[in-house]
This record gives sequence, C-alpha cells and structure tokens, in this order.
Amino acid sequence: MREITLHCKALYIAKYIVVHRWCDMAEKINLKKIERKAYTSYHQDGLIDVFSGAFILSVGVWLVLDMAWMSWILWFVAVSAYAAAKRVFTIPRIGFVKFAPHRVKALQTTAVIVFSLTALLGVVAFMQVEGGGIPLWLLLAIENYMLVIGGSVAASFCVVGYTFRTRRMYAYALLTLIMFVTGHFLYFPLHYYVILLGTLVLLFGLAMLIRFVRRYPLSSADTTGDSGDEG
Amino acid sequence: MKGNRARDGEMPSISEIDKTIHEPARLMILAHLFVVESADFLFLQRQTGLTWGNLSSHLSKLEGAGYVSVEKEFVDRRPHTVLHLTEKGRAAFQEYRQSMKQLFEELPR
Repeated sequence: MREITLHCKALYIAKYIVVHRWCDMAEKINLKKIERKAYTSYHQDGLIDVFSGAFILSVGVWLVLDMAWMSWILWFVAVSAYAAAKRVFTIPRIGFVKFAPHRVKALQTTAVIVFSLTALLGVVAFMQVEGGGIPLWLLLAIENYMLVIGGSVAASFCVVGYTFRTRRMYAYALLTLIMFVTGHFLYFPLHYYVILLGTLVLLFGLAMLIRFVRRYPLSSADTTGDSGDEG
Repeated sequence: MKGNRARDGEMPSISEIDKTIHEPARLMILAHLFVVESADFLFLQRQTGLTWGNLSSHLSKLEGAGYVSVEKEFVDRRPHTVLHLTEKGRAAFQEYRQSMKQLFEELPR
C-alpha cells in the first residue's frame, strides 16, 4: 500500500515537472505574439518610412513647382520601387515569408476601404459643385485646408501603422498633427510643412534602414538547410 | 485514435503526447510555420534563433514525420529553400495543443 502511495506521489511530481516545463515553454510559444513578431520584424527595415518620406517630400517639391498632379505618378513609382527594395534589402537579410491569407486579406480590405472612401468623397464633392455652387462643408474644408490635409495625412499614417503593426507610424501621425495644427495658425505656405515632414520621415527611415543593414549583415553561409543532420 | 480521444474530451496520457512536436525547438519551428503560409530557411533561423545545424536537423525530423514540406528552388541562380506546414503537420500541431491543454486542465490542483 505504501509503495502504491509512493508511486502515485512520484507520478504526481513527474507530472508537476512536465507541467511547469511546458508552461514555461508555452509562455514563449504564444501564437499571436509569434505572428505579430514575425510581421513586425518584416517591417523593421525602415523601407515604409523611406518611401513614405520620399513621397511626401516629392509632393512638397511638386507643390513648389506648381505641379502637384505629378505626385500620382510618383505614388505608383514608389509602390513598385518598394517591392524591389524589399527584395534587395530585406529578404536577403531576414529571409522570405509569405504571411497567412487573413493578413493579406486585411491589407487588401484596408486598401479597398481607403480607396472607396476617398473616391466617394470626391464624387460627392463633384456632384455638389456641379449641382450648383460650392457646398458649405467644402468651403469650410478649403478655408481650413491645413487642418484637413494634416488630418488626412495623420489618418493615412494611422492606417499604415495599424495595417503593418508599426507603432512608429502613430508617432508620425502625431508629428503631422502638431505641425499642421501649428501651421494653421502661423500662415506659412503649405509646402514648407510638407517638405519638412517628408524630410523628417525620410531621415528617420534612412536611419532605420542603416541600423537594419548593420544588424542583419548579408550572410555568405548556406541558408538552404541542406545536408544538416548534425544538430 | 489520439485525435479522437482529444476530440471526445477524454484525458490523454502523457505517454501519448506526440514527442516529435513536444521537443521545444521543434515546437517553436512548428509554431512559427503555423502562423504563416510559408517561410524560407533564413527567416525561420532569424525568428527562432536556432543555429544552422540545429534548425536543419530538426527540420529533417519534422520533414521525416511528414509535418513540414521542404521545397527547393532557384532564385537568381541561388538555391532557396521554402518550408511550409503540411496538412498533417497542421492537424498534429492542433491536436498537440488540444491534448496539452486538456491534460493540464484535468490535473489535480
């Protein structure tokens, strides 16, 4: 009888050890955390910042040259160049990953929502202007263009930050709001703020890119995982 | 059979836990592959922090068990290894999680 009790106790202790070892491990293996880490590490290269900054800066320059429409062309160039830069800087350093379909779907949904809302606003404004005179809300928006532009850019940063799980985008959004709200009262030309914001974001992005490149140097070692039975 | 037991709410025994998955490094590899569609060797190495040899060895075992599929291709004339969890691997990982959870919940306090 005593032997049976001892056996039960030993079994209980063994289970206790296994449970604790596993709980320790389970803490490290939090699937949501792992997914978030994989996702954020893929966007820690600063490329989003570099391209966003360069795009905003170019909009500012085109504003000075009175050719703001050129920004749309640059937008398409920036999007394709981003994919190429990802292949040159990021993938050789931290590897390639294809995220789960729900992540890709979330990105597509965000893009569709943002595009639809912008298009809807444009159509409503056009129809109201065509229908006779400029509506009051559009007049107000034109009058407070600094606040409207600042708010839109800040909202765009928030959308990018939420989509790519990059918290620094919220800091850019705050910076944008501060700059444009200040600009609303200071009456300096719009392009000053746009160029300053673009330069700041671009510089921060470049600093991040340099840090990323130093942190993850290109490895000449074989990364194919072939013939590895030594571990 | 093990899966049926876990699904039926019957408490699994410790000896029935899948030992291929239970090893911490392999569990970590499977967890990383579980949350993405596919990843290459370098990405897994960076994320898990395992050495080349360790990762390679564990991947061989997981591939042998049919949990991970390894696809070799050439990108810009360089060999490139893409890894993803097979249906069997995904099911085994889910089952493992369920079994462990159930096992701990059923233990006396």
